Amino acid sequence: MKALMAVVTLLYWVNGTLLRIGRWIGVVAVAAMVVAILVQVFFRYVLNNALPWPDEAARFCMLWMTGLMAPTAFRQGGFAAIDTVTAALPKRAFSVLMLFLLAVSLTVLTVGVQIGYKEVTGIGGRFATASLYVPTSFGFDDWYRVPRSWMMWSLLVGIALLILVNIELILHRIVSLLGGDDALPSLDAAEVGGAE
Amino acid sequence: ADYKIRATANSNENDEDYDGLVVFKNYVEAASNGAIEVELFIGTQLCSNGAECLQGVADGSIDVFVSTSSGAAGLFPYVQVMDLPYLMSDDRIAESVLSGEFTRTMRDMALEDSGDTIRLMTIGNTGGWRNFANTKRRIAEPSDMEGLKIRTVVADLPQELVKALGASPTPIPWPELFTSFQTGVVEGSKNGITDIMGMKFPDAGLKYVTLDGHAYMGAMWWMSNQNFMAMPEDMRRVVVDGFYALQQATFASPKRKSIAAYEEFVAGGGDLYVPTPAQKAAFKEAATPVYDWFKSNVSRGDEIFTALTEAVAEAEAEIGADLAKDLN
Amino acid sequence: MLIWFLPVFLVLLMIGLPVFFGLLAAPGFLLWLNGQERDITLLYRNLYNGMDSFPLMAIPFFMLAGELMNRGGITLRLVEFAQALMGHLRGGLAHVNVLSSMLFAGLSGSAVADTSALGSMLIPAMEKQGYSRKFAAAITAASSVIGPIIPPSGIMIIYAYVMGESVAALFLAGIVPGVMVGLGLMFMVKVMADRYDFPVASRRYTWGERGQASLKAFFPLMTPVIILGGILAGIFTPTEAAAIAVAYALVIGLFVLKTLRVSELPDVLARAGLTSAVVLLLVGAAMSFKTVVSLSHAPEHLAEFILTLTENPLLLLFLINLLLFVVGMFLDAGPAIIILGPILGPVFTSLGVDSVHFAIIMCVNLTVGLATPPMGLVLFVASAVSGERVTTIARAILPFLAVEIIVIFLITFIPAISMTIPRITGFVN
Ligand code: NA
Ligand code: NA
Repeated sequence: MKALMAVVTLLYWVNGTLLRIGRWIGVVAVAAMVVAILVQVFFRYVLNNALPWPDEAARFCMLWMTGLMAPTAFRQGGFAAIDTVTAALPKRAFSVLMLFLLAVSLTVLTVGVQIGYKEVTGIGGRFATASLYVPTSFGFDDWYRVPRSWMMWSLLVGIALLILVNIELILHRIVSLLGGDDALPSLDAAEVGGAE
Repeated sequence: ADYKIRATANSNENDEDYDGLVVFKNYVEAASNGAIEVELFIGTQLCSNGAECLQGVADGSIDVFVSTSSGAAGLFPYVQVMDLPYLMSDDRIAESVLSGEFTRTMRDMALEDSGDTIRLMTIGNTGGWRNFANTKRRIAEPSDMEGLKIRTVVADLPQELVKALGASPTPIPWPELFTSFQTGVVEGSKNGITDIMGMKFPDAGLKYVTLDGHAYMGAMWWMSNQNFMAMPEDMRRVVVDGFYALQQATFASPKRKSIAAYEEFVAGGGDLYVPTPAQKAAFKEAATPVYDWFKSNVSRGDEIFTALTEAVAEAEAEIGADLAKDLN
Repeated sequence: MLIWFLPVFLVLLMIGLPVFFGLLAAPGFLLWLNGQERDITLLYRNLYNGMDSFPLMAIPFFMLAGELMNRGGITLRLVEFAQALMGHLRGGLAHVNVLSSMLFAGLSGSAVADTSALGSMLIPAMEKQGYSRKFAAAITAASSVIGPIIPPSGIMIIYAYVMGESVAALFLAGIVPGVMVGLGLMFMVKVMADRYDFPVASRRYTWGERGQASLKAFFPLMTPVIILGGILAGIFTPTEAAAIAVAYALVIGLFVLKTLRVSELPDVLARAGLTSAVVLLLVGAAMSFKTVVSLSHAPEHLAEFILTLTENPLLLLFLINLLLFVVGMFLDAGPAIIILGPILGPVFTSLGVDSVHFAIIMCVNLTVGLATPPMGLVLFVASAVSGERVTTIARAILPFLAVEIIVIFLITFIPAISMTIPRITGFVN
């Protein structure tokens, strides 16, 4: 139990830190999306000169926003689920069922991370983006065309973070089953709604 | 069935791609005596763009996929050689070139660059030829293009071409093109007539089409190399013959489909202009900087450019000789 | 064989697996059983590609715009405007509650945002005037479902994307049904007000005062005009309109009304980002799920089965109403649309129901489900905002639910209600 609590505490710190960094990058990404689309609208309708990159750049930001912020929502119980049917179960049975469900989600994520790695490093990742370049010299005269893999990493990183969170949730359930509820750090619930 | 071929095209059932697939399915299933079953997925059920679908072809989850040059250019940039203007003069030349060694050269290059996973089976047509169309004026000379805002896809080569002709390239997503004509965000595009009529662009003010035929709209048919090679040779023969039948069907289909489209365009008050040979030569002259751009900026561009121009020269010689016999 | 992914999915869902994981686990498991391992890669690929979409970007943008409007004190001006128009009626604040929701719906695509923004303001005010807390919470929850019916609408963006419909067409089709729900609720408020002698909120405002209130609400009220006007004129795509709504909300919040501070922005961005990240993952998973739906030919099988029940499309639509209502009781509208759209949509369009009409039926039906027990999202939010128990609110909301069910039937059986505006404007032919 002591060793278990040490792992729980460590993971609590690791996940808390990683997800906080993720949320901040996500905040910047959301702002950048808005700016990119406004630039697009301005150039197209006001200057009559459509730019090639805002669409793809905004999608780039949106994918990273999703990968980096969704794990926070998962940790806070923000993934939609039907909990009415199982709510009537006795506490112990409920905890065991939850462990089973967490095992299912961990399986999904583990398979996902393996496929994801193959995807990022495979043919699809080698595709070039249509319009994204980064400068490779300080004089801005050499430009490197961004490969699609830079966008595809977003989901892979997201799944990796979800796995960390999933393991943390499993450990919390186990500790709780062993009667250590009071010692558990709370995974502070923030408000996460749906599209409704 | 011993073999299942899962074929997908991101278009719809009105497209030449579908015509080709129907012929392919019918031929292959009949000629293999039912040993091969072809399952068609038209639209975006399995994958929705070139990058995704070719990924599926590479790992074998999709057997057959058709892309345009821009759909595959992210992975095989040299396929954009098909977009180089004025290299092939008419259907007869194009069909001869695409039925010969040129396609095999491109197949070898793609197999090499995909680690022997993606195999080019054949190149057919989708939508005929690209022509310049616009809302402003009749384009007879390259100078008429001066200053027009022409819609292109987000890709370097079409943008270079539009710039070379003195117009300004404007990347607009296809679904937004109609309103962009209306609001004047763009004044022209480079499309086939069936697409122009299919999207009702004349209603948005598109009035002038110049039949310069600057590019042949090639449709590249890709197949999973591992799944193809896993078949015994007699079945591979059936598949290869099936692609031949498919190619013939897609060569023929746009010719038939464009008739009604041209009639409808003219009946609606559209101005259809056929440039004279001298004017066409002037267009080609104006576009030459794009050839050099292609050879020096696109990886393996030089190699494929040579393959295409040699194949065209050969086809011209052959067809010229044939004509000499047929005309007299 | 593959078709068994549907029952497996249902079981996983019922025992509480988050929808996101269920959408991937059930098809993945069956593909694996079937020896189609290579197709599991397709699931992953469509998850990624499902999220990589320009139209979907409207979701974070509209959420952001709604958050900014709310922080910017704009909600308050809408309520004051509604009060100037309807406060003098018997049951004045109840009417104001409904009208505010209709106005708020033009800025926001979310019923939850509506309940929390308007509820925290109006429920205490109604209590102070002598309404019972459960009634105040119930009318707040019932009227908040107008939020995703009148455009903009988060669930309509999702439906349009997953089903390949035009967002603009769905937005336009939602206008009349949304207004009908509002008018229906007002009618019920009037009936109850006369019967139970509800209080009057204020004296009758003079037209001058009304003019002043409308001036103060002018900037927020312009938002739907900009969004819909831009889309209708073909100037913006819905995504661009959403970005413009964000810019507009920022400008009026920061500079015109000066009710928003720059220091609040990171928090607003984080909330919008977190919420939309969850939705986007879900939409991506829905695209994976849809792939297996096509591979298994589920809609064809389902259509065959349904046609053995009856071939009468009206009866079928009635059955669909019931099904959606029951699903809506247990599942939020977004996930429900994501799951049922790809399965039911093709069946009904092949039976001759217009795809836009069907989309509206699904959206309205499932949105009303947000206010039904036991799993009504807005009931929970209304409970959190008011401090009243969910079961108590659930009982008090019944008369309003009855009104909404009647509206659902009208929308279902009179296509013209939803189809007229998109037809006239040429977004549906
Ligand atoms: Na709304
Ligand atoms: Na309300």
